[in-house]
Amino acid sequence: MKRYVLRRLLQGAVAILGALLIVFVAQRLSGDPVALMLPMDAGEEEFAAMRAALGLDKPLPTQFVVFLGNALTGEFGDSYQWQAPAMQLLLERLPATLELALAGLVFALLLAVPLGVISAVRRGGVVDRAAKVFAMLGQAVPSFWIGLLLILFVAVELQWLPAFGRGTPAHLVLPAIALGWYPVAAMTRTLRSAMLDILESDYVRMERAIGLPERWIVWRYALRNALVPLVTMIGVYFANMLGGAFVIEVVFAWPGVGRTVVDAVFARDFPVVQAGVVLAAGVFVVVNLIVDLSYGFIDPRIRHG
Amino acid sequence: MSVRAIAAGAALALAAGAAGSDEEIVVAFGAEPQQVDPTRSSAGVDGYFIDLFYESLLAVAPSLERVNWLAESWEVREDEDGAVRIAVRVREGVKFHNGETLSADDFAYSFERLNDPVSPTRGRLRYVERIEVHDAHSFDFVLSSPDGALEALNLVLTAIPQSYYREVGDAGVQQHPIGTGPWKFVSRKPREELVVERFEDYWNKDAMPVAKRLRIKIIPEDTTRVAAFKTGAVDWIDAVPPAQVASFEELPDTRVVSLPGPNNLFLTLNAVDPGSPFRLKAVRQAVAHAVNVDDILRYVLHGQGIRTVQLAPGTLGYDPDLAPYAYDPARARALLAEAGFPAGFNVNCYNLTTPREPYFKEVGEILFAYLNEAGIRCRIVQLEYGAWINVGRTFSRPRMDGILSTMWGQGLPGDPTDAWSGHVHSTGDGWGTYSYHADPRLDAMIEELRTTMDPDLRVELIRRIARIKHEEMAGGVPTYRPMLTLAWRSDIDFEPWPGAFWRSMRGLRGRSTVGEP
Repeated sequence: MKRYVLRRLLQGAVAILGALLIVFVAQRLSGDPVALMLPMDAGEEEFAAMRAALGLDKPLPTQFVVFLGNALTGEFGDSYQWQAPAMQLLLERLPATLELALAGLVFALLLAVPLGVISAVRRGGVVDRAAKVFAMLGQAVPSFWIGLLLILFVAVELQWLPAFGRGTPAHLVLPAIALGWYPVAAMTRTLRSAMLDILESDYVRMERAIGLPERWIVWRYALRNALVPLVTMIGVYFANMLGGAFVIEVVFAWPGVGRTVVDAVFARDFPVVQAGVVLAAGVFVVVNLIVDLSYGFIDPRIRHG
Repeated sequence: MSVRAIAAGAALALAAGAAGSDEEIVVAFGAEPQQVDPTRSSAGVDGYFIDLFYESLLAVAPSLERVNWLAESWEVREDEDGAVRIAVRVREGVKFHNGETLSADDFAYSFERLNDPVSPTRGRLRYVERIEVHDAHSFDFVLSSPDGALEALNLVLTAIPQSYYREVGDAGVQQHPIGTGPWKFVSRKPREELVVERFEDYWNKDAMPVAKRLRIKIIPEDTTRVAAFKTGAVDWIDAVPPAQVASFEELPDTRVVSLPGPNNLFLTLNAVDPGSPFRLKAVRQAVAHAVNVDDILRYVLHGQGIRTVQLAPGTLGYDPDLAPYAYDPARARALLAEAGFPAGFNVNCYNLTTPREPYFKEVGEILFAYLNEAGIRCRIVQLEYGAWINVGRTFSRPRMDGILSTMWGQGLPGDPTDAWSGHVHSTGDGWGTYSYHADPRLDAMIEELRTTMDPDLRVELIRRIARIKHEEMAGGVPTYRPMLTLAWRSDIDFEPWPGAFWRSMRGLRGRSTVGEP
């Protein structure tokens, strides 16, 4: 078990390094950050001076080595835009993003689990069909658009919930819905088909034969086993939601990592983008590790050697 | 269903419209400044915050007239040897937020910081040789050459507290800016909000805020910012989208004001590269005849723009007698034929997709579509801000080789000197990095304008240049100046000031509560 975790962590480090290399090169292909930092009336001389001040006049391999060396010691440099340590800038905002992604995930699960189970049990019924339509809607409509509609109807027309910002739990509701609706369809369908398989398996037939109540069979035995594929999806979707949160954060003026990184990309604020990639890759690796480890708890048959 | 249930449950726990109290006013900006240090700022948007904390020697009043602010008086003097100096008398009894008293030395230090190698705007003061301090309240700008634009740029210098700046350094200033302005820094959460409070020792009692606190929210998404205002969560918003201005005017208890922005939009034409059709005057004039700017203003911008012939009304040297080129596609085609392009030609047309001004991308596309109609067939190249600004700079690669939808701004009310040095003068002067035109006659006139300080002579020169520019369609085809719409609750006493492009809170007093005299 220990060796397995260690191996996974090492793989994660390689993944992060790969992501960094790609971002490092891609960013520098996208153009010169100095062009954005200087006012319009700056001349060639000012460009050269600013490039030298930022170390951008050195050859690319040199820049990468310097950058890697610093990154290993947790030093990502100061943001060009904010004149503050890039990683610190992001870490300050990480809780807001994690909160939003978690809330989105909870919303998705609150819908997907009952809908998936009921759709399987009452296959072809009204709930099954309604669930399909509802879930597909979330998948088909872009999340920012859902967000805008929620703001217009729930916040402006009905005045039930705040339109933007972070603070009370009420502030979390609309962005969580906008973010969490998208994966509902996939989660519902995954759970439904897993449930269908399991409900026709031998041990369920056995349980029925010995006269266990159907509710017990469905919610205690079948669901637990049907959760394995869903948990895999949760790992992927949680990471996706961190990405999706970038869009939702802009719509709801949510002070998270996403807005900061997106702005940094447009401003070619290299240190912030690089720190953002390390952070995102790190979260991705950790979430996937947790997911893998959790299989063992859900399904005791799965053991990692 | 469940969504409603969750929403309704949560709504109970919340007063949805938790806007400011009598003591506090909540404001929402669409864009967020990064720099709060006036000697390190390069972008116009930085002014939104800087204007709260800092003040300069001069200010622009709501009437767009320049008024003395921290300068009690100033005058231009010429020494016997011909050197020019601007003698400034600094207002007495002005306090910084940390209790220190403003002196002439603080301005000398401000000048020193603006000239640091890391200062992005050091070029702005290139004609100022030094600052000569005489006593605590008087100093001279000593110029290496007369500089017409210096006055236009409000004598540029901002009051910063020397001892505090030296003590805390750049990072410290970012964390806690200190100036002489009516609002004092309290706290800031980047990407979220800035909180400021009234500065009790503010020198200008006439401009003293009544509200105790001001909370500035950053809400970049238009729909969300509008919703925040409509739900009562904020009391004041900027940048009401043009399509919604009419509906805002119907809102109860709301004041809506549309004001001219500082930017002047135009199409730059490459009139210098060998083989470029725009080297020919007739082709440039054809462009001006091919586009229907009035219809764009009416149907795309919902009236939220001011047609410019060369300069917008209010700009220094504005000439009301200059009439725009009429929209006349037939004439445009005839001019092209006359220039040797009866079948038209293909050209790269560069457009900006980042919303620097409302619907900027869409307007660019429509302008290019008009050109297509006249036979100037655009291959549209869509660029985000960074790539766009690079294409425009003459020394960067790739270089602009056709038409570029772009803009110039030089504050409010506006002065074209620096901008024309950039995109009309062939090599320019600092700003010259955007020029795709070369005409020795215009070069000489712009150089003269740059070094002329007499206001009347300047107006006359600007008009002469504008006439030639207009006739030749030199330095691009002007289109319009976008407007900015602000909205606030009618119980708030607010007068828009042009500082930081109308986001200045210098004209904000407070909520007019019942019973107050």
